[in-house]
Formats: sequence, C-alpha cells, structure tokens
Amino acid sequence: MSFLVQRSDVGEFRRRYRWLVFAVLLGFVGLGVKLVQLQIVDEEVHRAQARRNITGEIRLATTRGVIRDAYGRVLAANRPSYNVYVVPEAIDLKATWPVAAQLMALDDQEKQSLEERIAKIQATPSARRSQQILLKVDVDRNVVAALKTHEADLPGIQVVPVPVRYYPYGALGAHLVGYMREIDPDTLARVEDQGYRAGDRIGAVGIERRWESYLRGERGLKKVVHWQRAHAKREEMEARFLEEPRTVEPIPGRDISLTVDIELEAAIERAMRGQLAGSVVVVDVRTGRILAAFSKPSFDANVVSGGSGTSAIREAFNKLYTDPLKPTLDKTMSAAYPPGSTYKPFSALAGLADHLITPSTQVDCHGGYEFGRRFFRCTGVHRNVDLYQAIVQSCNTYFYSLGEQIHIDRLAEIGLDFGFGVKTGVGVNPEARGRMPTRAWYTRRQKGAFRGGFTLLAAIGQGAATVTVTQLALAYATLANGGTLYQPQVVRSIETSDGTIVQEFPPRVRRIVEIDHERLDLIHRALRGVVYEKKGTANKERLPEVDMAGKTGTAQVTHVTPKGIDPEKTWYFNRDHAWFAGYAPSDAPEIAIVVLVEHGGGGGLNAVPIAMRVVRDWQKMKAERLEAHTTADRAAAAKRSTP
Amino acid sequence: MIGLLGASPRERLDWPLFLGVVLVSVAGVVNLYSATSPYIGMAGREGIADVYVSQVYWLVVGGLVAIFLAAIDYRFFERLAYVLYAAGIVGLLLVWVLGADVRGSARWIQLGSFGFQPSEFMKILLIFAVARYLADDSKTEPRTLVDLAPPLLLTAVPTALVMAQPDLGTSIIYLLTVFSMLAITKIRTSSLITGILSIGAAAAGMWKFGLRDYQRLRITSFLDQEANKTGSGWHAFQSRTAIGDGGLWGAGFREGTQNQFGFLPDQFTDFAFAVFAEDWGFIGCVVLLGLYCFLCVWAVNIASQAKDRFGAAVAVGIGAKLFFQVFFNVGMALGLVPVVGITLPLFSYGGSSVITTLAGFGLLMSISIRR
Repeated sequence: MSFLVQRSDVGEFRRRYRWLVFAVLLGFVGLGVKLVQLQIVDEEVHRAQARRNITGEIRLATTRGVIRDAYGRVLAANRPSYNVYVVPEAIDLKATWPVAAQLMALDDQEKQSLEERIAKIQATPSARRSQQILLKVDVDRNVVAALKTHEADLPGIQVVPVPVRYYPYGALGAHLVGYMREIDPDTLARVEDQGYRAGDRIGAVGIERRWESYLRGERGLKKVVHWQRAHAKREEMEARFLEEPRTVEPIPGRDISLTVDIELEAAIERAMRGQLAGSVVVVDVRTGRILAAFSKPSFDANVVSGGSGTSAIREAFNKLYTDPLKPTLDKTMSAAYPPGSTYKPFSALAGLADHLITPSTQVDCHGGYEFGRRFFRCTGVHRNVDLYQAIVQSCNTYFYSLGEQIHIDRLAEIGLDFGFGVKTGVGVNPEARGRMPTRAWYTRRQKGAFRGGFTLLAAIGQGAATVTVTQLALAYATLANGGTLYQPQVVRSIETSDGTIVQEFPPRVRRIVEIDHERLDLIHRALRGVVYEKKGTANKERLPEVDMAGKTGTAQVTHVTPKGIDPEKTWYFNRDHAWFAGYAPSDAPEIAIVVLVEHGGGGGLNAVPIAMRVVRDWQKMKAERLEAHTTADRAAAAKRSTP
Repeated sequence: MIGLLGASPRERLDWPLFLGVVLVSVAGVVNLYSATSPYIGMAGREGIADVYVSQVYWLVVGGLVAIFLAAIDYRFFERLAYVLYAAGIVGLLLVWVLGADVRGSARWIQLGSFGFQPSEFMKILLIFAVARYLADDSKTEPRTLVDLAPPLLLTAVPTALVMAQPDLGTSIIYLLTVFSMLAITKIRTSSLITGILSIGAAAAGMWKFGLRDYQRLRITSFLDQEANKTGSGWHAFQSRTAIGDGGLWGAGFREGTQNQFGFLPDQFTDFAFAVFAEDWGFIGCVVLLGLYCFLCVWAVNIASQAKDRFGAAVAVGIGAKLFFQVFFNVGMALGLVPVVGITLPLFSYGGSSVITTLAGFGLLMSISIRR
C-alpha cells in the first residue's frame, strides 16, 4: 500500500497532503509537549495538589497550662465547651438545616444569615465546600445532647469539644491572672508563623498574655482522607494517601505557679469592699515576690474569656470600657499616682544624706510655710517638730523647709535609687514608669522658668512626681529590709502538666541602696511611731492585734472634669487619693504593703483601716500555716519513731 | 450497492483504519466505565453509572451506520450533497423551535426518549456540501476570494446558527474543518492574506460583540491560569491536576483520585481525557494520542489516494474534523486552549457524537475501498 501517493485525476489538490500531515503531527507534538510538562516535569506538583484535594489535616487541641497560686490553688484552668460546625458540602439546606437550627435554638435572624452564608459557599465550586464552618460557640449542654442524639439524621453538622478557659476565682486577681480572647487579624499576622490560626484564642492580659508561649502548648495533627465518595476501605485509603507520620500528638502547655496567695488577695478584696476604686500590693520584703496584687474595680475573667459567646463578651467589654472607674486598668502597675506624704521618708533620707538636716533639726510649724509670695499649707499646726515628729505627724512645714534647701534633682536621685521613675520589670501588665521630676524636666515641660516652689511640693510627694503602687511597695520593702531593692517576681516556677518543675525563679536583687544605718533606724522608728504614737497619723485607725509600721499619705489630685462623667459625680473625681505604705511586723519586717484608695480622701482615715485588716488577716494566715506545719512535723516525727 | 467493485471485502477492507477505530472505541468505553464508576451504587445517581452501557448501544448503532456508509458508493452523497445540506440547516432551525434547554443552551431535539444534536450531524453534511462545491469547481489557476465565497457562505450559515444556540465549540469545528478543506486548494497569495486579515478582524469583532459573558470568562480565566484556580478556572485547574497526578505510569484503572473523589467536572463528556490521563498516565496518553494521530494522518492518506476530487475533499474534511476535535478537547483538558465544549471522538459520552464520528469513519472506509 502506498502512502500519500497522489492519484492523477484530482486537479489542483497537489502536494498539499504532505503539509496537512505535517500540520497534524505538529498539533500532536504540541499536545505531547504539554503532556510531558504536566505528567513528567510537574508530576509532583500535581500529585501534591490531588492529595490536598482528598486529604486534610485535623488539628488536635492541646491543653493550656494551669495557673496556680503560691499554695497550689488553681487560678486558671480549662473546662470543656462545645462548638457546632457545619460542612457546607454535606448539609441539605432544605431537609437537615431547619432541624439543626431548631435543635440549636437559633433565632430567625441568626438562622437566616447562616443559611445565606452556607448557600453561598455551596454555590461556589472550591475546596471551601468541604471545610468546617463555625456555627455556634459554647452551646448549651442540652443542645449538645440533642445534637448528639440526632447525629445520624444530621449529616454535615458536627459537634466539636473545645477547651475553654475557666477562672475559679472569677474577678479576684483578674488583672494579674488575665483572660483569653479570640486572636484579632493584626495579632494573627504577627504570630501566624508560630502556628496560630484565625479563631484561636490567645492570652489577652496579665500572666495569660505574658506567659502565653509557655501556657499555650503545641497542637497536634491528624491527617485524614475525605473518603465518603470512594468505594475503598478507610484504612486502605489512609495507608495509600497519607504521609507518615499520620498523627502528631499534642503537647500540653506548661503549668505556672505564681508567688501570689489568692487567700491574701481575697482578704484584700474583703477589706476594700467599702471603697469604689483602688489598689493594694503586698510584697515579701525578703525576696521581692509579689504576694498580692489587687486592682479595683475588677471584671469577671470568665465572662470576657469566651465561655459565654461573642455577644456576651462584646457587651461585657462595652461596659468595661465606658466605666469611669476604669475596671480594665491594672492599677497596681499600669497607672501612676502622686505619692503624697508616703514619699516623705525618702525626702528625709535625701536631706540627711546631704547634711541639710540632722535628726535633731527642729522646725517651727504654724500651719504652713511662707515661700516667696506664696503660703504653702500644712496639715495642721505642729509647733516645734524634729524629723521623727515630722514623719509621725506628717508635718509638711518641716519638709517645705527641707525643700527650700535641697536641690530638686537630689530628690529625684534618691527616688531613682529606690526604684521610682523606672519600670520594675515585674512582667505582668504594661507598666507605667512613673515620674521623678528634675530641674531639666521642668524646664523642658513647663514653659517659663523653674520655680523654687516645685521643690517644696516635691519634698512632700506632690507636684509632678508620680509612682505606681508596685514601685512604692518595693521601695518600702527596701526600707524594711535595710536597703535591698529586689526585682519583683510574680512567677515562682514553671512545671510540666505532670508536676515536674521545669524552671524555678530564685529571688533577684536589683540593687543595694546604700543607707547609713543610724538614719535608717530613725526612719524605722518614725514609721513605727506613725502607728503607735498617739499623735501618729495612723494611730486612730490602729487595730490592737496588728503590728505594723508605715506612712499615710493624702495625695491631692489635679482638679479636672473628666469627660463623659455626670457633673453630679465630679466631686468624687476631685477628691484626694488616700495612701498607706508600710511593712509588718514592725521590728522584723516580712511583708511590705501599699494601699491606694482612689479618691478616698485622707489616707489616715481611709487607707489605714484597709491596711490594718489585710495585715491582721495575713497574721492569722501565717499563724495557721505555722500550726499546720508544726502539726505535720509532729505527725511525721511520731511516725518515724513508732517502728 | 453491496458488490465491492469486484475484489473481495477482506482484500479491500482498510484494516489499519478499521483496527484504529475499534481500539479507540474500546478504550473509550473502558474509560467511560472508570469515569462514572464513583456513581455505582450511589442513590439517585445510578443512571450516570450506566452510561457506558448506553455508549455501547450507540457504538453499535453508529457501527451499523458506518457499515452502511462504507458499503454504498460515496458518490451517491455527491449528488445529494446540497439537498442533505439543506436538510441539515432545517434541522438546526428546528432546534430553535423544539430545542431542549440544557444548561442554558438549546442544542438538542427530543425524539421520544432520545435527544439528538443536529449540529453534530451537520458536521458531515457541511463537509459534503463544501466537497461538492470544490469537486464541481475545478480550477487550474489559484482561487480568488470570489471563488472562495460560495463555500464560505455555505459554512457561515450553520456556523451562525450553532453559534446562536450558543455552542462556540461546534462552530469553531465547522470553520476549521472547512478551512482545512480549502487549504488543499490553491489560493492566490493576496487573497490568502486578505482572508487571514479579515478572519483576525472577525475574531476581534466576535470577542467584542459575539460572545456571551461566560464564554469570555472561560477565555480570560484560561489566559491567567495561575490566578484562576477557584471559580471560573476551577474546572480547568482540577483537570490539569488530574492529568499531572497520572504521572508516567498512571494511577491505574479506576484509581485516579481526582475522578473517584469527584474533582473532575463533566468527567464522562468533555473531560473524559483527564480521567484517562490520570488512570493510565503518560504512557497511556501517548498510546491514545498516537492512535488519534494515526487516524488523522490515515485520513489524509486516504484523501491522497482517493480517485476523485469529491472523495479527496470529504476525506480531508473528516480527517480535519477528527483532528480539531481531538486537539481542542485534549488541549482544553491540558490547559493548552480555553475551555470550549468540544467532545473527544469516541471517548465523550453522547449518541449524536458517536454516530457522527463513526459515520465519518464509514465514509473514509468507503473512499478507501473505492480508490
């Protein structure tokens, strides 16, 4: 048989056949080249895509670490909660959906908007059709039971258990422990490479936020085949299509033990019940460990952490952010206040160090001090006072006189020595730095010349100087322990979920403040006098069983009319802050305590009773612990001796 | 009519053509079974799982038609060419009146429980008419545009009708088939250039005014394959994935996951090749495309040896139709050309397509036997 041999009688159809064959071959070669590209060169790319089409990864939830207090009481743990998901591809909007919606008790609007969303995904061909869509979070247990019962009749509806954070103490210590929130897009963009995904929860405040990387744990992974359309057995499909390892077990997060004693925190809460707003910090003077950090008003961490659904969270936050008492603010460290008279011991130490005053220097107080054309008022008429009496009775005149002689930068220097004006590095919530104003600061800030009156005010803790409650507590701890300024600590140790200690944090000294022994002794005596002397500013509110030393303070606030506050209530916001800063026991100090009652009025009248009650409860707890200890020791000793 | 010009049928039968067609048909049925196997036992979809059986019926019907066409002298159709062409046009017009609407386009006429596509049969009838014209109009000097006007007009009418259904794919096949038939004639160079330029202009005009939105979308999503993996480019993307997943040796019969898990669109019609490619891999594709290639080249060979101009032109037309359908359908599955609805001869499920294709091969056989 001849090939492409032309016959004679076909006229013009000549020699074109070779070109046709050439064109055909060219066409098939073109197809062949593309086949080589798809099936041989890029085979792996397409194989991978085909696998991605039919397989998926289920993320296995991990358990977030538990947060405990110093005595092992649980402050933050996890409880199971149930989310309902829908797979758009698998659900029948006509038959299944209404039943599911009814079982979940969705209202009409919710039902409508979800239905539209599912229908939209169903209509667009893409891999999203086979992915879970979140329908409802933290559904009621009854709903879970109903959905589980009807599981077989509800293809496409899935009930997934998710751990939700639970805070047994609710609002108590909420600023310190923190809470969880759903990750927002900005944060997600920053931490996506650490394995966070949209919809994840992340620590928002306090320990939950600062120690997120320890608490979080690592999610596990399970690879699956979407096998519903195939005729093969599931095991076979999995063996064929899934790469090893098919399952990666989740690693639970680290547990964290705090230095805080939640019972002490509860005692503070009880003592503070009569006050609207304020803050209390208790520090161990021998270690710098924070024993309690209390900020009022507080909020229930359970409500804002997602246990109750999105709308409840939104509502709670709206309330929190519009409250003029600022419940979201951690007043122990995120806000700075004028220290008032609680700063006087530091002014005194500066004056003694510079030999501007001696313990016997006397000043005659007739209710104030004339300086330039101004009269600086005192709290009363104290007559002849020496340094001891000036502290005991909180005489301003004495310190105005000192303020006239001392350079304002010296007052700032001693403040910096004791840790004011710098962040303490406690590592919980964003810290306010506070301010120790210097001459340079005033010239920079205040237009016009520096005036001597500023120093007079600074000497009594007024003016531009501000401190945080935590700073003040650490400074008084330094006074109490003879000059060791500690790095404050909130976390004592990190443990694995089975209790093995991974890391312990021993106390860390920040600085030794050099103070002459005799001068310090004078200050100690004066602070004790504040409580024990008849004329002492804390004496009237003294509880007989409490042994404590300290200093009261009444800090004037700048008179302002805060925005958005009922004019009827502005009187409250213009009232002075009440302070008490001290330590106990007075002769061998163990704890330092600072009480701030925002707009509480006079410190002696309002802050001292709180400090008294807290220390009283602390003494009680200490005694109980000691007794429990000795009983246990005796029992152990008895046991040892019996055999 | 039955007498095969003296020689015994065995002797004159075009065995390569016959074997080629049989092999492709068998492969097509086997592939259809694989393509629809995910539906076996699936409630409400049993009908789909059985289409390969229907395809066998259509192959039998088509085979009978082919035997009939091979047995009678093709010159019979030369005489009737214009009449048949007119009948075909009437059929296309009938679609307008009786057309059954399937996915937004009316292509079928329902006869009892069978729907048939006049546009499929028109492919052959158009080839007849153009071949008749070329056979009648024997020339020695190169043709001018005026000489080409009648066959182009013959093509324009059904093309426009099919285009209006709308069925872009079939109208493209009409045009390319006729252009191929004209390519074997001598055309004056200036006329050829004018012709190509006016085709270009016409294409631009079509793009602007003649295409529907979904057709335009298919072409734009083809041009930007990387960006269009969801929505309009989803089908093409999954098809390329299926073919690539086949690799060198293929996943094996009924093992291609893209098809078995329902990721392939139109897997037993327009994207049947993707199923085949995933099951049988590069090796299988080379064999299948080799068979198609052989059939196309063989059609040209039959044309070259045809004893008259009509036979030669018909053979070229049928070869061209086969080539362009294979090229466009496979090219579409590979992502080489935009997604247009063109069936893969003997692979895509469909009675009209199978009968038309086999009728074409019957005619080729008739021309081959009577050379």
